[in-house]
Amino acid sequence: MDGNLEISLDKLPIKRLESIEENGVERYPSDSSYDEKRVSLIRRIDFAWALEDDEERERKKRQKKSSKDASATWQWQSMVENLQLAHQELSVIIDLINTVDANDAVTVAGMTRPKPLPNEVLSDLAASAATKLQCYRQLGKYFKQSAKALEEQIAREARFYGALIRLQQNWKVKRQRLASAASSSEGFIIDLFDNSLYDSAAMCRPSSLSTIRVDHDSAGMLAINLPPNSCRSLHFGFLGVHSADIPKELGKIRTRGSVEQCTREREKESVSDDEYIKETHTLLREVHQSIFDDQVFEMLNREAFNQSIGVNVTGIRENYLQLSIGQGNTLFISLVPSSKGDDQDAANTQDSESAIVPLDSFDNVKLEEGKHGTSKRKWGFPNRTSCEIYLQQIVHEHAFVKAKDKPNLSGTRVSGQSGKDGPGLLGHFCLSLAHRIFSNRVLVELENVVCRVPYLHLMTHPTWHSQTSSWTIFLKVPQSILHAESQSLKSDFQNMKDAVKSQFRTKVVVNDDRINVEGDGAPNVVSLFKRSSENISSVNKYECDLADLPVIILLQAASQVICWLHEEALMVGIKTNRDFLCLTFELEQGDTVSLVAHVNPEDIKGGITWWLVMEDGSTDDWKLQMDMYDGASEYRKFLGHLTLDVLYSTLMDLVSLCGGGRNH
Amino acid sequence: MNKGTGVGTGPTAAAAAAAAQKQKTMMQRVETDIAVIVDNFTQLVNVAQVNDPPVRNSQESFMMEMRAARMVQAADSLLKLVSELKQTAIFSGFASLNDHVEQRTTEFNQQAERTDRMLARIGEEAAASLKELESHYYSSAQRTPDTA
Repeated sequence: MDGNLEISLDKLPIKRLESIEENGVERYPSDSSYDEKRVSLIRRIDFAWALEDDEERERKKRQKKSSKDASATWQWQSMVENLQLAHQELSVIIDLINTVDANDAVTVAGMTRPKPLPNEVLSDLAASAATKLQCYRQLGKYFKQSAKALEEQIAREARFYGALIRLQQNWKVKRQRLASAASSSEGFIIDLFDNSLYDSAAMCRPSSLSTIRVDHDSAGMLAINLPPNSCRSLHFGFLGVHSADIPKELGKIRTRGSVEQCTREREKESVSDDEYIKETHTLLREVHQSIFDDQVFEMLNREAFNQSIGVNVTGIRENYLQLSIGQGNTLFISLVPSSKGDDQDAANTQDSESAIVPLDSFDNVKLEEGKHGTSKRKWGFPNRTSCEIYLQQIVHEHAFVKAKDKPNLSGTRVSGQSGKDGPGLLGHFCLSLAHRIFSNRVLVELENVVCRVPYLHLMTHPTWHSQTSSWTIFLKVPQSILHAESQSLKSDFQNMKDAVKSQFRTKVVVNDDRINVEGDGAPNVVSLFKRSSENISSVNKYECDLADLPVIILLQAASQVICWLHEEALMVGIKTNRDFLCLTFELEQGDTVSLVAHVNPEDIKGGITWWLVMEDGSTDDWKLQMDMYDGASEYRKFLGHLTLDVLYSTLMDLVSLCGGGRNH
Repeated sequence: MNKGTGVGTGPTAAAAAAAAQKQKTMMQRVETDIAVIVDNFTQLVNVAQVNDPPVRNSQESFMMEMRAARMVQAADSLLKLVSELKQTAIFSGFASLNDHVEQRTTEFNQQAERTDRMLARIGEEAAASLKELESHYYSSAQRTPDTA
């Protein structure tokens, strides 16, 4: 509308004289009917402004068209203009309707739909079709999104169930009934408990790690999350040698830590499903091993409270057991939680060095050779890892394997480890360790002796028994002497006889902590009292202590050398008298010359030294006067440490001396 | 499912009946879901006709959305059924599981025997090597200290 407002004034609603006739009659206009009044009011509505606007708009459009033909027009311009026109028409109609409503004189009689034009029909149809097409397109998008989501769900489930099936090949997977529905985890658990031992008195309490829940991670793959420090491992050591606080080495903790770290970093797509399943298997294996270690420790704890041979509990606290195994040795067994592997690299490296060296005790011996003081207590400790493995092996064999082999019909299970009949598993383990430590010390002593005497050879005999060890010390006659003897002898029987006597044996057997020495070549004990030796080689058996073992071995070796020299002398036809460590030759006029052995375990150059003692016939005293050590006496001469060749030469000299004296 | 096929081979009659009932239920679910999908899709296609009143078009668009949602719901139900079947296959395949367990047990027993034999062989070889080494060591002159 324009700014100018046109105002129309109505005539006052009074009757105005229209005309007067000649006769004086006044004529007034007739009253209009209601309809006529309404029509007149409607006619008063001025639509001229609208028509003017239309004409002006068309004129402008023509002008614009003509002026803007060369330039590009907005594609929606015409639609905008049509909409504006439609809006104006609607505004007019709305104003009319409002006016009609406001004015009671005018009412709407009726409305008829205008007959649609052909283009309007098609445009309505097109609009409907477009609307429907839009609906279908939206449906299509919805279906695509749903299909994609379902495909992802299928892929996630395929991965999850594929992994679960692969885990089921090795582990017991169970379905857990969940109280709440529509849970995302489907309620699966992995049961690691060995229920074949459920009736066992030794193991009746399942570990808290026996059931492991299977969850989903963000990628849909199954995930196993363990609480930190839930896995524990068996830790063994000797008190004073190993620290009780050092966590378990051999990378077990490192393995667990790395596996847990891998489970935490599962979001990385670079880890393939196969590798992840392998890691899961490893993790489950570690948990299974942790459960086994718990069971082992529990069994050991139970046995510790039963009195049995070999078990002497000296300390106990939570997850810690300390036992004394005799001879001042104490061991501890504990359960330590798996700590973070990254923080223990230094400790692992240090421990792995000590774990890899199989006989670190012997290295200590070599370094501290000659020191027989306080370092003796550190000798002979077996490898800690081997002890752990042994402990686990005997528990597994006697508790698990035997339990599965026994029939399930018997109500009471005889574990075979009662304290009344003998040592249980723990007792057996302690006795084995005690024996191992003691046998290592025995071996050290034997090696110390054998290394110093050149004609002694040590041979180890593996007994494959946990409480028995055996060695043999050979005294071998050198080959040259044998060859020289064989040339002088004629018969094969003599050769065989010499071959039999070419070496003397001393057998050392250790049962638990008892040393048994058995050797040949010593004279008959009875003959010692008769001051004459019978030419019978007897085998001596006796027990001794560790401290006396070097002396015993040296005495045995010396007596064997004397025996050999005696046989050699007999072979050349010279009669000699043999005592325990003395070989006596008779000279003329009752004089005697003796070759005497002297043993000294403290001698670092060799344990056996030789003396040459001459006695005239008037001397009744057979005893050596050892206070004359330097051998400067006219009756005795110190020969020193002699090899067998030199001893044989000395013997031949003495033989010739005896033979020459007799000839004279 | 093993329970459904092996009638007289192992499972009891009650378990077989339960398995048959479960199978029947699953088949009904499958048929229902597929019928829902087909019906709704058919209706969607039928509604493609363009109607004159625009109001009817709006009504039809709402109906199409509803039917599409029903189709997706039926598809999801089918997927859940597939999951149930997978779980049943995992936990009810006793024959295959037992076979696999026996196979693994045999493998592990054989491995244990091989390990024992290997350990015994290692022990024997170690004993022989120890004997030889001891013989060489004690035969050598290096082990004896210098005696002046």
